[in-house]
Amino acid sequence: MGLLMGEARNQLRWADGKTIKNEVDLQDIGTETQSLLEQLRGEALKFHKPGENYKTEGYVVTPNTMALLKQHLAITGGQVRTRFPPEPNGILHIGHAKAINFNFGYAKANGGVCFLRYDDTNPEKEEEKYFTAIREMVEWLGYQPYAVTHASDYFDQLYTWALELIRRGQAYVCHQKVEEIKGHNPPPSPWRDRPVEESLLLFEDMRKGKFGEGEATLRMKLVMEDGKMDPVAYRVKFTPHHRTGDKWCIYPTYDYTHCLCDSIEHITHSLCTKEFQARRSSYFWLCNALDVYCPVQWEYGRLNLLYTVVSKRKIIRLVETGAVRDWDDPRLFTLTALRRRGFPPEAINNFCARVGVTVAQATMEPHLLEACAREVLNEQAPRAMAVLEPLKVTITNFPAPKALEVLVPNFPADESRGFHKVPFHQTIYIEETDFREEADKGYKRLAPGQPVGLRHTGYVITVQNVIKDVSGRVMELEVTCTKSDVAEKPKAFIHWVSMPLACEVRLYERLFLHKNPEDPSEVPGGFLSDLNPDSLRVVHNALVDSSVRSARPFDKFQFERLGYFSVDPDSEEGK
Amino acid sequence: MEARVAQSAARLARQENEIKLLTAEIERLKNFGCLGVSPSLEGLRDENAKLKYRLNFLKKSLQEERSKSMKSMININSCLQEIFGAAIQAAYPDLENPPLVVTPSQQPKFGDYQCNSAMGISQILLKTREQKVIPREIAEKIVKNIPANECIEKVEIAGPGFINVHLRKDFVSKQLSSLLINGVQPPATGKRKKVVVDFSSPNIAKEMHVGHLRSTIIGESMCRLFEFAGYEVLRLNHLGDWGTQFGMLIAHLQDKFPDYLTVSPPIGDLQAFYKESKQRFDTEEEFKKRAYQCVVLLQSKNPDFIKAWNLICDVSRREFQKIYNCLDITIIERGESFYHEMMKDIVKEFEDKGFVQVDDGRKVVFVPGFPVPLTIMKSDGGYTYDTSDLAALKHRLCEEKGDILIYVVDSGQSVHLQTVFAAGQMIGWYDPKVTRVAHAAFGVVLGEDKKKFKTRSGDTVRLIDLLEEGLKRAMDKLKDKERDKVLTPEELKAAQTSVAFGCIKYADLSHNRLNDYVFSFDKMLDDRGNTAAYLLYAFTRIRAIARLANIDEQMLRKAAREEVLVLDHEKEWKLGKCILRFPEILQKILEDLLLHTLCDYLYELATTFTEFYDSCYCVEKDRQTGQIVKVNMWRLLLCEATATVMAKGFDILGIKPVQRM
Repeated sequence: MGLLMGEARNQLRWADGKTIKNEVDLQDIGTETQSLLEQLRGEALKFHKPGENYKTEGYVVTPNTMALLKQHLAITGGQVRTRFPPEPNGILHIGHAKAINFNFGYAKANGGVCFLRYDDTNPEKEEEKYFTAIREMVEWLGYQPYAVTHASDYFDQLYTWALELIRRGQAYVCHQKVEEIKGHNPPPSPWRDRPVEESLLLFEDMRKGKFGEGEATLRMKLVMEDGKMDPVAYRVKFTPHHRTGDKWCIYPTYDYTHCLCDSIEHITHSLCTKEFQARRSSYFWLCNALDVYCPVQWEYGRLNLLYTVVSKRKIIRLVETGAVRDWDDPRLFTLTALRRRGFPPEAINNFCARVGVTVAQATMEPHLLEACAREVLNEQAPRAMAVLEPLKVTITNFPAPKALEVLVPNFPADESRGFHKVPFHQTIYIEETDFREEADKGYKRLAPGQPVGLRHTGYVITVQNVIKDVSGRVMELEVTCTKSDVAEKPKAFIHWVSMPLACEVRLYERLFLHKNPEDPSEVPGGFLSDLNPDSLRVVHNALVDSSVRSARPFDKFQFERLGYFSVDPDSEEGK
Repeated sequence: MEARVAQSAARLARQENEIKLLTAEIERLKNFGCLGVSPSLEGLRDENAKLKYRLNFLKKSLQEERSKSMKSMININSCLQEIFGAAIQAAYPDLENPPLVVTPSQQPKFGDYQCNSAMGISQILLKTREQKVIPREIAEKIVKNIPANECIEKVEIAGPGFINVHLRKDFVSKQLSSLLINGVQPPATGKRKKVVVDFSSPNIAKEMHVGHLRSTIIGESMCRLFEFAGYEVLRLNHLGDWGTQFGMLIAHLQDKFPDYLTVSPPIGDLQAFYKESKQRFDTEEEFKKRAYQCVVLLQSKNPDFIKAWNLICDVSRREFQKIYNCLDITIIERGESFYHEMMKDIVKEFEDKGFVQVDDGRKVVFVPGFPVPLTIMKSDGGYTYDTSDLAALKHRLCEEKGDILIYVVDSGQSVHLQTVFAAGQMIGWYDPKVTRVAHAAFGVVLGEDKKKFKTRSGDTVRLIDLLEEGLKRAMDKLKDKERDKVLTPEELKAAQTSVAFGCIKYADLSHNRLNDYVFSFDKMLDDRGNTAAYLLYAFTRIRAIARLANIDEQMLRKAAREEVLVLDHEKEWKLGKCILRFPEILQKILEDLLLHTLCDYLYELATTFTEFYDSCYCVEKDRQTGQIVKVNMWRLLLCEATATVMAKGFDILGIKPVQRM
């Protein structure tokens, strides 16, 4: 029997104020299913129709624009085209989920297509595992890319365009050092007006490896919104590329590559986060400088979550210091972590949709995401019973010689979705906390003289004998049972297991104590000092009922009176 | 007793402790000193990787630039083959490997080139499909399918089904202009490959004879050809410097010059020295025994014996170098001794792979298809030529990574070499489909009496004497023609060496190497017929034409860019086409390694030029005054094109033309 339970939203403290707040939030948002179109609220409503790029405020119209748009429409047939362009240098997190949800969702809602394009222009950072992990997560979220492309697929075209840009006098080879052009108001390049022929020859020399790293760059002649002058288009790097091998020693920059790749793929709406707003003019400028189709860049606010960190560097620190087990530790908010924690992809999509698309940055409490998860799991995770701190109970007047079979509804709210059988035997286990030797006021569960009902069995048990060890600790109870239709109605019903399976259960709490662990005013000691010492509690000898016997990793259950649990991928047989 | 036990116990404890410490130390060292990688080491590794990447990149760029600057000449024949190949493919798409024959036409009335595939295809159709189609019909079908191209003016079908091809004048003219502008360029050969040429290869302590002369001359030319064609060439002199003869030579040296370790012995005539020791070896039993001991000591690298060996080799080397200097030969010495250490592994490799049989104490390897096995180890444990040749083969394939291996060795070694090559394939050192290993065999040199080349007294002819005589004969010839009265002493000397050594080389190279050839000074110095003397004269004459018209190089270069080469005259056309056949000649030689084709071509070029020169005035002069009336620049350009191609041909043959003679 392989079970190792991960993920528990800690609903042990049932009446916890937080939980109540969750429920309120959930109801606030409303649970009725919304159509995709309705979900894409806010800014997306203002988006232009394919081919009407010029109607967008700030879009630059050149004498060639209309012809290019006509051509564009002929190629796409007026279809909406978006793309999700991650850099393959890390694991996707909840912030990416929004980009995926928005790009794929917008395309889907408009009958369009969405590309998955790896922005692999930087040869130093790429590893195969990131490529596959990204693809896996996109598909897990339920999206199928129209095509999987790479910025590096277009290196030849990009290079040809760079030559053209030089020929048009719009780019030049510069020898200023990186330090020289850093910071505010760097001096303008003394090479800005060198002859085109010279730049062509020098750019060729760059391609041939004649310049060392940092000795020459290709720069575009434009001033960006933030006053930054002449962004770099190409730089020398003596590093092999994941896909093009040793073909190149010059690599294009984000500023140069991104809009041109969008243009090549005839993207209609280039959706990106707010920080790229400063690059919008260079986006339009470059497409127009080359007289190629110019998509529209739209910006939306980033999605941030409280009580967590998402940066690659910080997660690496957490893994290294042992604060979390790995990149997919359920306490993190990477997409793999959320999957491991048992969050259904639908929940993540719903969450992104509810956050909506606004220009403003959205900072969310994790419990909103958790509420989305519960909403889906309530529909998806069948009921089961588990006992985390077992107390043995023997029924002395058990009515049958063998175990009885009890029918448990998979979803009590909707019995049409079936039942499963669990054995009910003379020996059962209940939670230690469901028994007290003295029942005070307000305590409704089992105590001497206070019977309690056993869920789903139709029996009420009454304590006859409390067996203790020498230290006075309660070891076992002997009880008698009575059919509930003849017994007096008990004050409460408790869950139980009989002939159970042993398993390890991990109970997770949030990883950080403060809302903004990265904010030095809130956490002066740095995010590593803000770790919640109780973020993981492992229960080694929990017992679960036999209905989870053949569960597979990522199967999810709602344990009665405990919460939702998901089978962890590192589960083992018999554990 | 107890005290001793205690002592031992203490010692043991100490030792145990030490073992623990050492084990820990070893563990620590295994983990690179346990300290982890220092950041500066990390940085250096990074930098190193980047530098390597850049180096590789620069090499690639260099290659790219080189291949770009190689404005290769167009091989018209292969262009036509491509065109006709496509036409035949279109006409008969189901035919597998249809015959593709394109040759230059012998007579102007048959056009410039001929495609004779129709006859062959007719036969194939008859044989494989029992279809009877007359070749003429096939030729028509091929002609209909000729793709658009830039070189064919028109085609005609003649006789039973010959397709006569007429080239476009402007195409030929354009190619000639590009030849004049870019200089003579090799035909395009694709990726730069490595060629290892084994040639010359005389034996230490023996004189070089005319057999070595052939190998040396042919090998040098082959190297030059491959180098020109853009290959990387490794020229190897497989000296016989490790045989058993060194035993008796060293023994004799020790007797004759006991203080050889401190004073260099004056061995002027190594040949005589060799004879003396051979005589003793054959007659004195004691000496013979000692000679064998000397071999063993030499092979075990005893320093004194190595010194003696070096002394003897040096004498020979000096003699060889004299000849190489005369003939302008470049070669790297890599004799049998170089492979000595590898031979043990060669034997082991053959044994490990189960190819070795023991026969009467010898270790032999049978190669399928060859009746005589290779003996890779003698019964006394010594190695043989078979072993050293196998070692050399493997080294050239696996260490030097040669794509083409050429052995310029006389035909008498043919079976031996083929067996060695086959053994190399058998054991998996190379795949003949990928790597080419060729024996460029040649016949023996005969005297004018058609017998083996000997002196009058019956001795083998010493090479150095032969070269001396060549010089003398060349001078006689020049004086006969009273050139000594026209030329300065320096010019005369230059002409003498150019003619003498040029003639000896050319006489050798102009004969099909596979045949035996008759060595005759009279024939080779004749200035009529296919000889170097004739070609050298022709060449200086062509060069003189422009000079006499007061046209200097710069004016020619300018004209080459601006002037269109009109080829209206029949002889201009013939010459133009002949010049452009150079690349196809070279390509052919790169395949069959038969250099006489180049000599034949140069001779044909020279005679074609003469025809042209006889009927087309390049410079028109007033009959009375001798004043230049008109310079026909395009014809001077044809002269120039002829001369540059001839010069390149000479260069490949290793002949040095002179400005005046």
